[in-house]
Amino acid sequence: MGTPHLHEKFASIRKGLLEFLILKIVSSDKVYVADMLQRLSTTEFATQEGTLYPLLSKMRREGTVDYEWQESDAGPPRKYYKLTAKGRSQLEELSDYWAHINQTLEYLGRGEPCTK
Amino acid sequence: MHKVIAIDLNGRVYQLDERGYDSLCRYLEHAESRLGTNPDKAEIIRDLEQSIGEKLTRYLGGDRTVVTTAEVEQVLGEVGPVEGVDAPLAGHTTVPAGAAPTAPPRRLYLIRDGAMISGLCAGIAAYCNLDPTLVRVAFVASAVIEIAYLDRPPVLTAGLYVLLMFLVPAKTTSEGPTQTAHEPVPVKVHRGVERVKALFGRVHHTPQ
Repeated sequence: MGTPHLHEKFASIRKGLLEFLILKIVSSDKVYVADMLQRLSTTEFATQEGTLYPLLSKMRREGTVDYEWQESDAGPPRKYYKLTAKGRSQLEELSDYWAHINQTLEYLGRGEPCTK
Repeated sequence: MHKVIAIDLNGRVYQLDERGYDSLCRYLEHAESRLGTNPDKAEIIRDLEQSIGEKLTRYLGGDRTVVTTAEVEQVLGEVGPVEGVDAPLAGHTTVPAGAAPTAPPRRLYLIRDGAMISGLCAGIAAYCNLDPTLVRVAFVASAVIEIAYLDRPPVLTAGLYVLLMFLVPAKTTSEGPTQTAHEPVPVKVHRGVERVKALFGRVHHTPQ
């Protein structure tokens, strides 16, 4: 979706939203990094391990996600990420904020003043 | 016959051809450099190594025991370059100040591609962001001055050149000089081996 021009234009917005999307992905289930990449791969937010691992480690430091090790049939144990209580409340805040941004866009499009 | 290097990635041994091994070392050095002072650097590197290992596995099996350079590079391309997370994400500005990654250090190399003699002048030019010809002219001018004013063979200029030729590590690259100046690359195989001591395995010479 979108032209390459738009893809480029919104690169920094997509990057900024990645943390929000990760919170959304891990909110539904415990997930392994390859699953996250798989889910994002068909969207505009497709990313790679080189971006995701540093982001996940930052999110874990901030206490919004945590992981546990689980054995894997295919090789060594894997880290499965899950949302923490702090992550859940942050996801709610972000969802509200995102809804507000959408509302702002909507109002501005109509030429009406927007107040929070 | 060509050299094959065995490495250990998270408990599993993989055999890479030599250039593939060099690419992996470069990738990991770059990743370390990009992560700067990130407190989770070691863990992130281990995670990346595990992902790389899992992706390399798909090329093995049956009679295949060695991963080729092209396959290693394909895997590294899929894993993607490591990005710092210093930029504010989703409205957050809570990244600790200490976690900001530092820029890769500039390093001086002999650049073999397009070298006139050893690539020293091209290396100095890339380091200082100058035209290589200018650096070459400066060396020649210095030699001429030595001959004309000091009335002797240009021992100082030539000596300095030869000395630097031996002191500065070499790098073969087809990239632009500016990138060369900024890109962290293992300057010696030994250093690469030290850096990836977690990957350390044994070196085989296997007929292919």
